[in-house]
Amino acid sequence: MVQAQRKMQTQVGTAEQGDTEAQLSIRNLSKIFKTGDGVTDISLDVQPGEMVTLLGPSGCGKTTVLRSIGGFLEPDSGDILIRGRSVLNLPPEKRPTAMVFQSYNLWPHMTVQDNLAFGLKIRKRKKVEIERSVTEALELVQLSGAARKYPGELSGGQQQRVALARALLLQPDVLLLDEPFSALDAKLRMEMREELREIQTKTGMTMVFVTHDQEEALSISDRIVVMHAGKIEQLSTPQDIYDRPGSLFVASFIGRINLMRSISDGQHIAVGSKVVQQDGSTSIPAGACTLAVRPEDLYLTGEPDSLEGTIRQVMVLGHYAEVSIHCEQEHLKMFVPREQAAELHSGQAVKVGFHKFTAFSEVSS
Amino acid sequence: MSTSGKRGMLGLALVIPSFLILFVVVILPILYAVRESLIDQNSGEFGLGNYIRLFTDPAMRKNITYTLNVTIVSTLLSLLISYSMAVYLRFSTSWMARWINRLYFVPMFVPGVIATYGLITLYGNHGWMVRLLLLLGIDSFPKIIYDYNGLVLANLWFNIPFATMLLSSALAAVPNSVIESARDAGANIWQLFFRFILPLSYKTMWVAITFIFMGIIGSFTAPFLIGANSPQVLGVAMQQVFSNYQETHTSSAMAVFMFLLCSVMGYFYIRTMGKDADV
Repeated sequence: MVQAQRKMQTQVGTAEQGDTEAQLSIRNLSKIFKTGDGVTDISLDVQPGEMVTLLGPSGCGKTTVLRSIGGFLEPDSGDILIRGRSVLNLPPEKRPTAMVFQSYNLWPHMTVQDNLAFGLKIRKRKKVEIERSVTEALELVQLSGAARKYPGELSGGQQQRVALARALLLQPDVLLLDEPFSALDAKLRMEMREELREIQTKTGMTMVFVTHDQEEALSISDRIVVMHAGKIEQLSTPQDIYDRPGSLFVASFIGRINLMRSISDGQHIAVGSKVVQQDGSTSIPAGACTLAVRPEDLYLTGEPDSLEGTIRQVMVLGHYAEVSIHCEQEHLKMFVPREQAAELHSGQAVKVGFHKFTAFSEVSS
Repeated sequence: MSTSGKRGMLGLALVIPSFLILFVVVILPILYAVRESLIDQNSGEFGLGNYIRLFTDPAMRKNITYTLNVTIVSTLLSLLISYSMAVYLRFSTSWMARWINRLYFVPMFVPGVIATYGLITLYGNHGWMVRLLLLLGIDSFPKIIYDYNGLVLANLWFNIPFATMLLSSALAAVPNSVIESARDAGANIWQLFFRFILPLSYKTMWVAITFIFMGIIGSFTAPFLIGANSPQVLGVAMQQVFSNYQETHTSSAMAVFMFLLCSVMGYFYIRTMGKDADV
């Protein structure tokens, strides 16, 4: 039920923003540091119950946006609204947000119990009520036995879970997560992702998640904001961003992709000996352009209109193999099933074809 | 002999040289001083005569209370000032904080005697302050040098830089995310200080208190140069009893008493450290 509702909100959020009141609304936010880094003109609406991820390489400004929402940075210009009210003049302790930091989240001199109860005590909740909420929160993050422990006695993953529970207990309008899993090992990171998604489904909480890990962003988000050099490059659903990257940067940053130098005449694009028809939605002006094709969209073929190349390397990676092909001055990577890979060897001449692609004009970028 | 026994012997052999040095240069002199203090200065008999006089002689009793007074007041003031300064330096990013950060430890590089004469030149009866105020038409100036105030002032000069350095490093070890998550949870500035900053740095505060206290209670240079003739702090009094009156046994008793005062401090210090080791 909650999930269905959230999906609906997500669609509303992407399709016709402004009709429903956004839980969080960032308007033309700018913040430039003395070093020259920072963000300019960031606008973003997050719908209730939505999980939006800010994704980008380090230094792209994603944390700056998050810290501005939390109140730890004062933006140079722009506005931040939570449920329609500007929070710009509120200090962090008065904002209806809660933040989970990358590390050192927990207060080392307090037990887990006290860490969790602190925010509620400040809010003058009844003792019985605090006790019950804390127990529930610990159950939610599967750490029921840890109440009396000190943070130093917990593992990294457990600490981040407690930090998450502590933030949830504050019942914020927006939960902010600043690369909360990046200090954990790969396996734990995956588990925590799933758990976070589950918790979000259960609680219906609005979340803004910052990460530099594109896989993480793709797996947990309702929508992703790809940021680059202080600006939003693309804002869309994970599927859309993967299939239809809006810029060359997004294409190369999200997932793996083959980039091929090619030439457009306005209607067709020629890459080596292969010529493809442009689809109607995006028209590339005549001139040099770059063709981007995902490795999984390349296939070996006998078609006449295809790219000719030689196999350089075949690497078996479990159930599939990654094949590197030297192909008309380009190095391409493609995935083939393991059975097919057994018949391939380096030095072999092959023909490569593709149907799905995205083209970026070099004139505009 | 078993392997573990051999290892034990080796461990002992490694410890013995340093223990011997410690024994000869620290423990033996202490025991010697304790024995000296137990020989009555007047009668030459073994007993507590020196100690009884230490606590019954009016002048000496005055010296003791005076020393404790100067020490405790100076320690608390130093701590208060250095702690406020350390907190300010930790959380302020103003140019003022940056300059204080560069300059605050300069007094540590000024030798004690020079600093003391500096204080005399600045605050003395015919010092710069007096003359400056006189130029402005102010004719009265509180007595600072050769008085209680001067001693406290000197102690502050000598102890604030080191204490600030200690406390600054303790506060620097408190991660920003701890402070920020506390604010995020709704802590106001007072709760932030008393529930987070203070508990996370109080161990270092005890280290600072111990060092300041021990430094001041045994201080000699400054009180010798700018203290009053009576009452005197124990350090100066002890020197007088030892050199001028040549009463070795009385001065030994004074030294042992001072050592006991420091031990009380040391006890609290060790207890605080131990308590946190359990956690």
